[in-house]
Amino acid sequence: MVEKARRERIEAGERGNPTPQWEVFLREEPGDPLRHVGSIAAGSESEAHEHASRLFGWYAVDVWLCPADAVGRYSTRGLGEAERSDDDGDGTDADDGDSGDGEDDGDGEPRVYKETAGVSEVNSL
Amino acid sequence: MISISKLLCDLDAEGDGLRYDAADGSSKPQITEEKQRRPVVVWNATRRCNLYCSHCYAGADLEAAPGEFSTSEAKTFLEQLAEFGAPVVLFSGGEPLVRDDLIELVGYAAELGLRPVLSSNGTLLTREKAEALDEAGLQYAGISVDGLPDRNDEFRGEDGAFEAAVRGIEHCLDVGLKTGLRYTITEANAPDLEGVVDLLVEKGLDRFCFYHLDYGGRGAEIVDADLSPREKRAAIERVADLTLEYHDRGEEIETLLVGNYADAAFLVEYAREEFGEAKARAVYDYLERNGGDPTGERIADVDYAGNVHPTQFWQGYSLGNVRDRPFGEIWDDESNPLLSALREREDRLTGKCADCRYKSICRGASRLRALATTGDLFAPDPQCYLRDEETRGEHPGSAAGAAD
Repeated sequence: MVEKARRERIEAGERGNPTPQWEVFLREEPGDPLRHVGSIAAGSESEAHEHASRLFGWYAVDVWLCPADAVGRYSTRGLGEAERSDDDGDGTDADDGDSGDGEDDGDGEPRVYKETAGVSEVNSL
Repeated sequence: MISISKLLCDLDAEGDGLRYDAADGSSKPQITEEKQRRPVVVWNATRRCNLYCSHCYAGADLEAAPGEFSTSEAKTFLEQLAEFGAPVVLFSGGEPLVRDDLIELVGYAAELGLRPVLSSNGTLLTREKAEALDEAGLQYAGISVDGLPDRNDEFRGEDGAFEAAVRGIEHCLDVGLKTGLRYTITEANAPDLEGVVDLLVEKGLDRFCFYHLDYGGRGAEIVDADLSPREKRAAIERVADLTLEYHDRGEEIETLLVGNYADAAFLVEYAREEFGEAKARAVYDYLERNGGDPTGERIADVDYAGNVHPTQFWQGYSLGNVRDRPFGEIWDDESNPLLSALREREDRLTGKCADCRYKSICRGASRLRALATTGDLFAPDPQCYLRDEETRGEHPGSAAGAAD
């Protein structure tokens, strides 16, 4: 898979913790393409629209909102593990010694990644 | 970030080339001839925290939040910052010390040429941790203490938090780490202001950072607990007075104001009152070079999940995510109309800000507070405490000549 695409899937599942995130798309003028302008935190679609209108209402003719966790994001330039195999699992903490109290919970670095970020697709490439 | 001690007590020791805001971890706040071009990046390395502070802008929690960077991701992220030329990375949270790899990451940032500094509640800073952080290259530790014991502990949601923070401070000082105290003022803890300053003098701290409350995170729920603008003015005046008093006594305390650039204008007025017009003009000129409120330009925030925000307090809006594209690309993308508007906000400010003579050293102060209270991004900051007669007329910089 990676040979073909070189893109990694970016997990969005918990990005909206604690408040749901909404991706915001604007159309500046009629006929223009929609442009992604970031994301906002809001508890509901109507709240998201209100929030986006405060931020961009002075600017855009159209506003589209999409729950962030409904967007499939694939990037060639993520923070994925594949790019950093040089220092994975090399026990870097040994130099510092002091992180021992936190390192004894058995979480090797890659597993922390999988468990906390939930982005195993990226990891498994 | 405005250094009272620099502007009022140390003006002759001119800035020697480094950035002003970016000098957060430097031995002296310094002022450059040019505006800082790259942002200081606050990184909320985790959302976890062992405390539950009532004003937390990050909405930190006791529970782990999925989505935090792994060590490896964090290193790639730090590389992005270094490649972009960010001068400083401020490890924040949550409580950054709950990350087991903090020391490793601080060391990596230092290795990359980023100046690593820390914002912490101090309660987890053992002597061993402080020593390891120092050895890893940490340049500065800012410890939050929001009042004397009773009020601080109530604020922070845990008995004993004050004592633990003070122990953390002592450990930092013991190992020779430059250490400062961060105090966010609210109605609840305002009476403790002088006590907190006394504490830092007694402990031999290097720096006092006075934070205004911004209206993001849990802070938004306590807008009503903010001081009134008039009370805020009195507090800033007291901080300025205390700074002068301590310097007169030979105490080399660095005093910084954060979060309300009405303070910049106030300091010009204060300098005029205390030292005369020439000093007021000099203070103005320095502050103009400093560039006013840094939101979206000289300060950036990246949260635990990689979302980039215009400041650390503005968690409700993200410009993009560093898991999708590198930080520098997001930060430089002025096709984002909000980002470009923020960067030219002097032309967009309305109300009393539009014609304020201090516009170029304040830049409307907090756009987030304006947004939170009025719904209008370019309305005046409700926490502007300047008097009408102070805001009218020509600016008092050297080019405009003496107004008095």
